[in-house]
Amino acid sequence: MKKVLIAALLALFLAPAGRALAAGDDALYLFNWSEYMPPQILEQFTKETGIKVVETTYDSNEAMYAKLKLLEGDGYDLAVPSAEYVNRMRKEGLLIPLDKSQLPNFKNLSPALLNNAFDPDNVYSVPYMWGTTGISLNTEKYPADAVTGYADLWKPEFKGDLMLPDEMRSVVGIGLKSLGYSINDVNPAHIEEAYELLKKLMPSVKIFDSGNPKQALLNNEVGVAALWNGEAYVINGENPKIVYVYPKEGTIKWMDNMVIPKGAKHVKNAHAFINFILRPDVAAQICEELGYATPNQAALELLPKEVRENPIVYPTAEQLKGSEYEDDLGADISLFEKVWTKLKTGN
Amino acid sequence: MTERSPFRNLAVAAVGGWLTVFVILPNLMTLATSFLSRGEVEFAILPITFSSYRELAGPEFLRMFLDSAWLALGAAMACLAIGYPFAYILARLSPKKRKLGLLFVIIPFWTNSLIRTYALITILNANGLLNKVLLGLGLISAPLDILYTETAVFIGLAYTLLPFMILPLYASIEKLDPRLIEAARDLGAGSFQTFFRVSLPLTLPGIVAGTMLVFLPALGMFYVPDVLGGSRSLLVGNFIRNQFLTARNWPLGSAASVLLTAIMALLLAVYYFCNKRVRREAAA
Amino acid sequence: MKRSLKAAYLTAVYGFLYLPLLVLIAFSFNDSKFLVSWKGFSLRWYASLAGNSSLLDAALRSLALAASSATAATLIGALAAIALKRYRFAGRKALSASLYVVTVSPDIVMGISLLILFITLNLPLGFLTLFLSHVTFCLPFVTITILARLSGMDQSLIEAAADLGAGEYAIFRLVILPIAMPAVMAGWLLSFTLSLDDVIVSFFVTGPSFEILPLKIYSMVRLGVKPEVNALCAVMFAITLMVVGATQLLMKEKR
Repeated sequence: MKKVLIAALLALFLAPAGRALAAGDDALYLFNWSEYMPPQILEQFTKETGIKVVETTYDSNEAMYAKLKLLEGDGYDLAVPSAEYVNRMRKEGLLIPLDKSQLPNFKNLSPALLNNAFDPDNVYSVPYMWGTTGISLNTEKYPADAVTGYADLWKPEFKGDLMLPDEMRSVVGIGLKSLGYSINDVNPAHIEEAYELLKKLMPSVKIFDSGNPKQALLNNEVGVAALWNGEAYVINGENPKIVYVYPKEGTIKWMDNMVIPKGAKHVKNAHAFINFILRPDVAAQICEELGYATPNQAALELLPKEVRENPIVYPTAEQLKGSEYEDDLGADISLFEKVWTKLKTGN
Repeated sequence: MTERSPFRNLAVAAVGGWLTVFVILPNLMTLATSFLSRGEVEFAILPITFSSYRELAGPEFLRMFLDSAWLALGAAMACLAIGYPFAYILARLSPKKRKLGLLFVIIPFWTNSLIRTYALITILNANGLLNKVLLGLGLISAPLDILYTETAVFIGLAYTLLPFMILPLYASIEKLDPRLIEAARDLGAGSFQTFFRVSLPLTLPGIVAGTMLVFLPALGMFYVPDVLGGSRSLLVGNFIRNQFLTARNWPLGSAASVLLTAIMALLLAVYYFCNKRVRREAAA
Repeated sequence: MKRSLKAAYLTAVYGFLYLPLLVLIAFSFNDSKFLVSWKGFSLRWYASLAGNSSLLDAALRSLALAASSATAATLIGALAAIALKRYRFAGRKALSASLYVVTVSPDIVMGISLLILFITLNLPLGFLTLFLSHVTFCLPFVTITILARLSGMDQSLIEAAADLGAGEYAIFRLVILPIAMPAVMAGWLLSFTLSLDDVIVSFFVTGPSFEILPLKIYSMVRLGVKPEVNALCAVMFAITLMVVGATQLLMKEKR
């Protein structure tokens, strides 16, 4: 009796497991950050095209890259890497060039955000969302002009009240940028200089966090933080006294892009999906749901004015002066990594 | 007599086969990788070199290892201190109650760990539940800074790993024959003496098992310390992850993992031999 | 120890274990998109959870995986405990050592090396590869727990059984297993818990069509974790309590 019960329970459990495996030809295997594509958008796409979207997720570009590389892209039809990994995957032949004739909606994209160094002429990638890594400042604790650039983070009054992203590229980038160098500078002397400078910043840092920075700022655990603008936007909405500053040295920019991995089995469906996402109404809907900036010019006009004109999400050309994307560093990434290890084992 | 038993052969073959394919083989692969060179396009390439191990000889790795070991040891001790009395009391309840009690120890851990850790943040932070209660009771006059300190990390680790201590302890304490304790009492031993001369030695295997099941996994753990401690220092787990993912230096990551395993093997071997000697002396 | 003192101690530890759970359940009723401050009572996250089939599917898959891999790990882990304790064979020490190696292996190393192994063996990534990996990392928890229970076991019981003509299987089933039962149970529970919560190994060994819950939750980095997940956890907790309650009732009636 007991055994039958156990067997029945097991069968019950295993039924959904088996069900998940079949999707067939009319499918699209999407590899994405979790909840980065609203479920209702996926449903609408399936309803309009009959193509079923099967989504699996990753938590970092690095993990996604390692896996796609080991599998040579086999089984995944669409991924959403950030700029530096678009460049890396493109150079390593891990991506399929896009057929623009299947992407009539490509024209909706803002020209200012196309043709970047990480993928000239957008041969392999289409921008999905973009943003910046600036600085949030609690003006209840500090005067509004206490921070104008990354270099202000070193001010003694921020000691023990500072949060940085738990990301090597951003932190070393802040060091380089404060010195006036590019965030993609791989000159060992400049990196050493940045290390010496950052070493002095370490005692000020209370928290490294990129997963949940809202919590620390809103609960007043820290008063100043370098973070993604998407987080800053939410924080500002909850507490307008916490403002977002575009550093005067030029801000660090990021961009997530849709690409088709080499081993994709449903290349046509992937194009159909990209084209669908580029539709102004769809892009606007995604943007409203996620709160990040859309690169879609046509969609922008459909958005409410207070979103479209919010400088935290859509910076002005002036605020973007001197801004850069994090790009692939090749083997020189090791230099950055050594700095990171030394910084984090030094205190 | 047992050599030709089909059951014995089946058990040995199944276990041996499984561990060879899924544990020994992948670990040999890791070992081999640790002697290769970092490649830019391929993850690991020839020539064979010891440079990864040389790199680990610096002060950074030692520092990370000691930090990790300190946290893991603290977590294991905290779990033991909380878990032993708990398992002891639990194992003395009626059979029905103790089974249910055990089940209720593990049920909270079927909830996703990330969400649970975030809940701990909500409890521990400056405006959190703990501070509000303490302030409300008038026990403190200003909010305590617990979150992003080592205390928070230990609370988090103890919380996350407690069942891995309680369950093995319970399994081993449960078989402790109450008649032995009664006998000790009858012979005039105080409760203190009974515990240290009878209960503790008999439940020692459970203590060792629980400590290992907490300490060993905790060594490579970095998620809970990062989220609750503010991620200010690198742990061995972070370092290995960074080598494999951010720095794409698989040989160095593999070497660090091999070194970690080797240090553990050494500690276990030392423990094993000491234990053997103590037993031999006790027997003599 | 006094009875009331014991009860107080048990209550305190259960309190420690359940407090975070109560907090996260409370936040599932919070009318805010973020898990930071209280904005009033709302059921909106339960409504949006009901519409989020991908989250629910992932939860079901995780449960299926955890139940099946915990069961297999318990079975193989029990065999391993017997084999290591009772039999002498070539490579016994190496197998025993390999169990401890599993517990120290950093997840990422295990994940990547298993993925390479599965690619080499040409196994399709998905349920099967997840199952094999989960069984592997659960094994030591079962075996070490059972070995601790069996240590100091009265050998005369086994000898008596053998003298009465019991074969190895009979000895295993009728003598050793009953003695080891609480440890077997503990091993299953630990395995189920480990499997249900694994992220890094699972990320590498799963395929493009098999998403499980912890992966989905840990990947919510671009926007932060949604309170929907709290709602899901609350629902799962409620179901667990109902199942436990129902089993208790059934067992009572049987008596």
